[in-house]
Amino acid sequence: MSYLRVRGLSVEFPIYQGGNRSLKKSLLAKTTQGNLAKDARDRLNVLALSDINLDIEEGDRLAVLGANGAGKSTLLKVLAGIYEPTSGGLYATGRVSALLTASVGLNPDATGRENIVLRGMYMDIHPREMRTRVDAIAEFSELGYHLDLPVRTYSTGMVIRLCFAIATSVRPEILLMDEWLAAGDARFLAKARRRMADFVGASSILVLASHSIPILEEWCNRAILLDHGRIVEMGSVKEIAAAYQQAA
Amino acid sequence: MFSVVGPETRAGSVGKLPTAPSRAQVAWRDLAEGAARSWMWVALALQDIKLRYRGSILGPFWLTISTLVMVVAMGAIYSTLFHMDAASYLPYLGIGLVIWQFISTVVTEGCDTFLRAESVIQQIPIPFSVHAYRAVCRNLLVLAHSFVIIPIAIVIFGPPISWRVVEAVAGLVMLAIDALWISVLLGMISARFRDVPPIVGNFLQVAFFLTPVFWPIEAVGGWKRLLALNPLFAAIDVIRAPLLGKAAVPTSWAIVFVSTVVGCAVTFLLFARFRTRIAYWI
Repeated sequence: MSYLRVRGLSVEFPIYQGGNRSLKKSLLAKTTQGNLAKDARDRLNVLALSDINLDIEEGDRLAVLGANGAGKSTLLKVLAGIYEPTSGGLYATGRVSALLTASVGLNPDATGRENIVLRGMYMDIHPREMRTRVDAIAEFSELGYHLDLPVRTYSTGMVIRLCFAIATSVRPEILLMDEWLAAGDARFLAKARRRMADFVGASSILVLASHSIPILEEWCNRAILLDHGRIVEMGSVKEIAAAYQQAA
Repeated sequence: MFSVVGPETRAGSVGKLPTAPSRAQVAWRDLAEGAARSWMWVALALQDIKLRYRGSILGPFWLTISTLVMVVAMGAIYSTLFHMDAASYLPYLGIGLVIWQFISTVVTEGCDTFLRAESVIQQIPIPFSVHAYRAVCRNLLVLAHSFVIIPIAIVIFGPPISWRVVEAVAGLVMLAIDALWISVLLGMISARFRDVPPIVGNFLQVAFFLTPVFWPIEAVGGWKRLLALNPLFAAIDVIRAPLLGKAAVPTSWAIVFVSTVVGCAVTFLLFARFRTRIAYWI
């Protein structure tokens, strides 16, 4: 049984700029009570998530809606264990896979083939196991001989195809996704959708952040609406989508 | 992959959520889980080296050659300057330079441990220590390449080979442990304070001349006891002296032990305290 529990969770981002990035200035500020180097203290905090309470159970497909900057990506990153909450708690059982950005962990100078193994390592998959999947990934991504060329020679679409093929080659337990994966280019789309259905179907929990209501309605059975880092509404995808469009 | 795993809780039974482990426990788990992923950081380190030397025929053996050239050039000049005979000076200089290069890259690249992994740290939850193990492993591999010249120098110039070689191996092990805490510590500090890498760079330049790397410590006469307290010298001495068939300066091993223990302890405390902030800093 997988689950995610979020209790009173807040995330505050310190904004480091100018002086407080400097050790010299920070030390000066300490020793001179801030008279000499005022800029070392100009630290701003941005409250990205505030008092989030959420129970996600096995079988849940949770849609995360909200305007730009509402905290969708931050919520996914906290759930993935990338950002430690500033206060509150997060409890999870089950293996969390986060698919947040397309090109993460890709090395532009390495070949497509090498990147498949590299990317696999970042997903905690042993190179030996990943090598057995190279052929399947090569076939699905339709990259052909390009796989032996450095990734920096690829077009944007080719990179997306490669990343999509790698990312969906695993069987996730708790799956956290930003919308890039649900997109994909037109020609590739039909194939990608079928693969996506298998991929999402295999997960026990899905948390999907997106602006696209049709995609959320297709994949999800619950939804939350974020605004300024707070959950303002929770309910069925239809209700929340309506509330989201009203707010926009 | 990196979540708090507790006892089974039924839906709605909020009261029975597991208590979170302490910071020290989490930090320790990070180090242990990172170490257990040796397949990951060894492969990443190999990949680093492969990419760095892609397109060059000699590959990483460029390092061997550049070290060799440096040793021969400096050897010719300084053996004359110091009035030392080349047969005893060249192995001394060679070992000193090879180890200094290791220390110096570990320190310089240590500032970059977490910064260079920025995109990964912000997207994928893997133990932070993986990045440090990767840096140490990469630099040990580089060291292995330039180390090739040392047996050659020993065979040609013939300092006696004795059981002391074991001592040198122990010295190398200590150096590898030092490399780990340096990578974690400097990696964290530089992620937070961006003026640290250039400060460290300046420090290294000065340290190269103040540390008996290419000049014999006996050359300073009365200052010898003071200079022998330099932990950088001690780290080199416990490897170099045994390889040359001599005893290390008596205080060296003690200094190596103390600096390793203190370094590990301070780094662990800071790592436990600030580990979770690294993702916010970079």
